[in-house]
Amino acid sequence: MRLSEALRINQLSLAPDSRCKKVQLVCGFTPLHLGTFVEAYIRNRFPGERASIISGLFGDVEGNLKRASREEAQGAVVVMEWSDFDARLGLRSSAGCDSPILADILEHFPATISRLERGISELAGRMPTVVVAPTLPIPPLTHLPLAQSGSFELQLQYQMIGLLSKLCGIGGLKILNESMLASRSAFRDRRDVNLEFHAGFPYTTSHATALAELCVECLYPPIPKKGLITDLDETLWKGILGEAGPSGVSWSVESRSQAHALYQQLLASLAESGILIAVATKNDAALVREAFARRDMLLKETQVFPIESGWGAKSDSVARILRAWNLSAEDVVIVDDSPMELAEVTAKYPAIEGFRFPHNDAAEAVKLLSMLRARFAKTEVHAEDRLRLESLRNAPSINQTQSSGDPLDFLAGLDAKLTLKFGTAANDNRAFELVNKTSQFNLNGQRYTESEWQAVTNAPGAFLLTANYEDRFGPLGKIAVVVGRCLRNKLYVDIWVMSCRAFSRHIEYHVLERLFEKFGVDCIEFAFRPTERNGPLQEFFTRFFPHGLTAERFELSANVFMALRPTLFHEVTEVSHG
Amino acid sequence: MDNLSDRLVTCFGLVFPNLPLDEIPSAAAGNISDWDSIAQINLLSVIGEEFGIGIDFEQFEGATSFPALLDRLREINGRG
Repeated sequence: MRLSEALRINQLSLAPDSRCKKVQLVCGFTPLHLGTFVEAYIRNRFPGERASIISGLFGDVEGNLKRASREEAQGAVVVMEWSDFDARLGLRSSAGCDSPILADILEHFPATISRLERGISELAGRMPTVVVAPTLPIPPLTHLPLAQSGSFELQLQYQMIGLLSKLCGIGGLKILNESMLASRSAFRDRRDVNLEFHAGFPYTTSHATALAELCVECLYPPIPKKGLITDLDETLWKGILGEAGPSGVSWSVESRSQAHALYQQLLASLAESGILIAVATKNDAALVREAFARRDMLLKETQVFPIESGWGAKSDSVARILRAWNLSAEDVVIVDDSPMELAEVTAKYPAIEGFRFPHNDAAEAVKLLSMLRARFAKTEVHAEDRLRLESLRNAPSINQTQSSGDPLDFLAGLDAKLTLKFGTAANDNRAFELVNKTSQFNLNGQRYTESEWQAVTNAPGAFLLTANYEDRFGPLGKIAVVVGRCLRNKLYVDIWVMSCRAFSRHIEYHVLERLFEKFGVDCIEFAFRPTERNGPLQEFFTRFFPHGLTAERFELSANVFMALRPTLFHEVTEVSHG
Repeated sequence: MDNLSDRLVTCFGLVFPNLPLDEIPSAAAGNISDWDSIAQINLLSVIGEEFGIGIDFEQFEGATSFPALLDRLREINGRG
């Protein structure tokens, strides 16, 4: 992004009541263009919202950390350069660089590190924080040849790594990935000496934009995709299965098909983290099974569901996969070596992101793997992620059982156990994740940043209810979240989501029943908003409001609920704290 | 107005969005309250980007009005 483009973005007019993301930019230099770019990238990430960047005083990163900790904001970006640890490590200082000076710098360095560690920890306890380790080189202060690393530099770097390692363990704090920054901003092009001397801003525009982009990406990571559909021939492996046979396809260095091995390895790793992997291939199903039975396959058949082998249009296979997963096209990517197949699928499903597997270009294939990793990146893997595939595999037998008899008999025979927990959001990252990724059974589709989530769950009178579910088909883990407030004998529900894997089990009725019982209220007010995708939620409420939901806030009385709710069968346990 | 002048007007519009277009050619630090040292750096950076030149801040020392900046740009353009 160019500076002029950033200024244009920041000047776009917005509705007067638009939401504002307030972000602390903590640094020891004049924030200048870095602040401009951070604002622009936040506005790009959240169209229709304002961004307010708050910065501190020049040359006082420690004081700025303290001030930032006292301010209300939705996030913080802490950018440290070597001169913040000791002014003599900056170009604006000329205090000398003889041996006693260097020794003095080393002597005082640990104390500064400790103070900054305390300041950053305190800030991260208040708001989501991104920390950037020095991005500029240490000035050449020693007598050594420039090509040689010396003890002075190494000791500084060693202590810096120590600081980052300690910070890394703090919840709510993220360390910017220097390798990723280096891939976007070359080391030699980062420093603008003239601007540093003239205005106290040390970065070139190109470095400032790269740094700002990554900081915003780190502070507000994109919502990850949920499923990947892959082709087989010249994609998952090298060769054409129908021609070479199961033993003739390959994925190894020896057979010059290592990129396919790395791709399989990536898919196996994604599957382990709860990403759904499916196959859509124009192949004979028996041959595909034989190939997957090979012991050297890095992606196991058990990690893939479903496998769609056939000769019809690929978009038809994709349709069946989306149904089996109960996902929307926008949650999914497809990888295929054939541009024609990708075009056919994306013509029918424009929301699916298609990637061509460059089977004859290993370097491009490795780039693709990085892109795919980024699409599915998540900061944490929850127990529920590992349960997802199993519950989907069981879905056909559940549906079959359900359709073959009385739905109430089916529910009664599930031996279901529902565990409801009224707790705090402090350590419940799964609840936060569920709120931000659920679209279908979602009261209003509202997404939250970490700080907004903290604010809504810590509001006066607020409660957080989560539901874990298990039946004879297996556990589903934490599948529903309700956040609301009880004020003056009235219950307000602001957030209500439920995983699509938990549909058709009447869990939603159990949840409402418990809310009425627990709070003893006569009615519940819901902060509803129709979205393109929350049809299942609206359908649930038609039982109580046969003419549909017309208002954006509506009330459901306990009398109406009790009169119209179906018979409930699950064993419900409540956990009050923790 | 020539092309150089038009492009400079665009730069001013980005840094001083509240300044009416017709007032830009007579703009000077003395008559625009937003024109402080930070705005000057922003303006010079945007000019550098727009005209593809590395800004030598000393060369632009004292160029705190639209006509003065236009003169410096014409000088650079003439040399280039």
